Amino acid sequence: MIFDSYEAYGASDFTPRVCILGSGPAGTTIARKLGAAGIPVVVLEAGSREFSDESQDFYRGTTVGDHYFDLDITRLRFMGGSSNHWAGWCRVLDSQDFEPKAWAPDTGWPISRADIEPYLSEVHDILELPDFRPDVPISDDIRWVQLIKSPAVSFGEKFADELDKSKTIAVVLNTYATELAGDGKRVTGARLWSNGQDAGTFSADYFIVCTGGLENSRLLLWSNQRSNGGVVPNAAALGRYWMEHPTFEGGNAILADYSEFEVDAVNEAFFSPTLAAMERLQIMNFGIRLIETPYAGVKSLIADLACTAPDAAEWVAYQLSQNLRCAAQLYVAWEQAPLASNRIELSKTDVDHAGVPRIELHWKKSPLERRTILEGLKLFGTTLIEKDLGRVRIMDWLANGQDYPTDEELAGHHHMGGTRMGTDVTKSVVDANCKVHGMDNLYVGGSSVFCTSGECNPTTTITALACRLGDHLSKIITV
Amino acid sequence: MSFFIKKISRRTIVQALIAMPALQLFRKLPDSDRPHADPDEIVEVNGWILKRSDLA
Repeated sequence: MIFDSYEAYGASDFTPRVCILGSGPAGTTIARKLGAAGIPVVVLEAGSREFSDESQDFYRGTTVGDHYFDLDITRLRFMGGSSNHWAGWCRVLDSQDFEPKAWAPDTGWPISRADIEPYLSEVHDILELPDFRPDVPISDDIRWVQLIKSPAVSFGEKFADELDKSKTIAVVLNTYATELAGDGKRVTGARLWSNGQDAGTFSADYFIVCTGGLENSRLLLWSNQRSNGGVVPNAAALGRYWMEHPTFEGGNAILADYSEFEVDAVNEAFFSPTLAAMERLQIMNFGIRLIETPYAGVKSLIADLACTAPDAAEWVAYQLSQNLRCAAQLYVAWEQAPLASNRIELSKTDVDHAGVPRIELHWKKSPLERRTILEGLKLFGTTLIEKDLGRVRIMDWLANGQDYPTDEELAGHHHMGGTRMGTDVTKSVVDANCKVHGMDNLYVGGSSVFCTSGECNPTTTITALACRLGDHLSKIITV
Repeated sequence: MSFFIKKISRRTIVQALIAMPALQLFRKLPDSDRPHADPDEIVEVNGWILKRSDLA
């Protein structure tokens, strides 16, 4: 069932056991799992079926620190959430991403990749993916990794018909949960806002917060403030350890031989380091996106190389005459070191139309990350030399220690952390089952539970974790 | 005085001698005083990741 307003839902006799806030990939996936298990669940979606400026305005906020996207354009507030504008690039976090790294504080998850692998076949169906192929080692340091370019499933569109016909799932649009109330053990209700006004409180046995990697922290911070710590009793890490995947063009490559890897349909290939290389260099994970450059770009690159290394330029020119494999742009995206100082706070001066403080995002890239991309590109360049595949040139801004460019992509619009998973209540918000520490009936879904970000796009892992949480709850909730 | 010297002024010769060390700086060749360095050694020059033998 889909209701276009809270008033319409109120006229029904639907009685949910579970209330999910948000209808993005996490919220929709968990609802479908619970609904399939016969557990009545209501999904409260703050937006409507379509984009609107009025709804997006609730997402405005400010950023302190490094330059970042406007917070009302980096996510979407309507049915299906940010799956309405994602690129569809899919890959699951690597096994090594779940492991603690001695050289990077506060890394390591309380679960392993094996804990989500049982759900990957479901994820493949949901996201319409082919099977993943294993990574291919190019050297002891670099892996050629697969990043699937999927059809970019919009959860709102794909599952609207199924949700509308469901007898166990009620999606209520235009209904914004402004705060949760709690007594330090349980959430006792949610305050709602609908049709531009307060719509009273809503009760259910279980609440699952799936409002996105920025909004989950905002809702819980505000709820906790209003209930004097009754919603997140252990709140030291709430809003903290927020992460993105910064992305910049870091270099170029001249490629003579593609025998070790293939480019995909749009002439791209992706590479990441091995755990051994990360450990040896004491760096974070990263992903190099190699994009074949149009031939015009090759000439200037070879001319530059000829000034520096005439023999190498001659070798390249020879290779080019043999086979017109050419040059490539190298974009690098990387895993941020999890830092408590990268955090979401509530604005002290600005509120949305419902009176909820807007987000003040504090975000800075760290020196470890800068070293990660520099060492990473050197590692890739060394591998190309060792395998006689080509040569790499690192961009001047990176090689010369200059500031990050301000005219590029900046990051992946991947909002991770803030309610991270863990066992230490001073450094995490939820446990291994995504349940808020100290609370009996409050769970969190989505990338805000990520402890570390790895280097890959998060939606595949978000969906896998949502399947796992849905499976977990369907076993403990009796109908 | 040789034919070569006759054709070039003393001033030109002095200018060329002064300029020679500077030309080395422009090339930024690492460790050019190591004639027996490993030709497969990885070096970084002007942002390029190269092996030493590329610099010949």
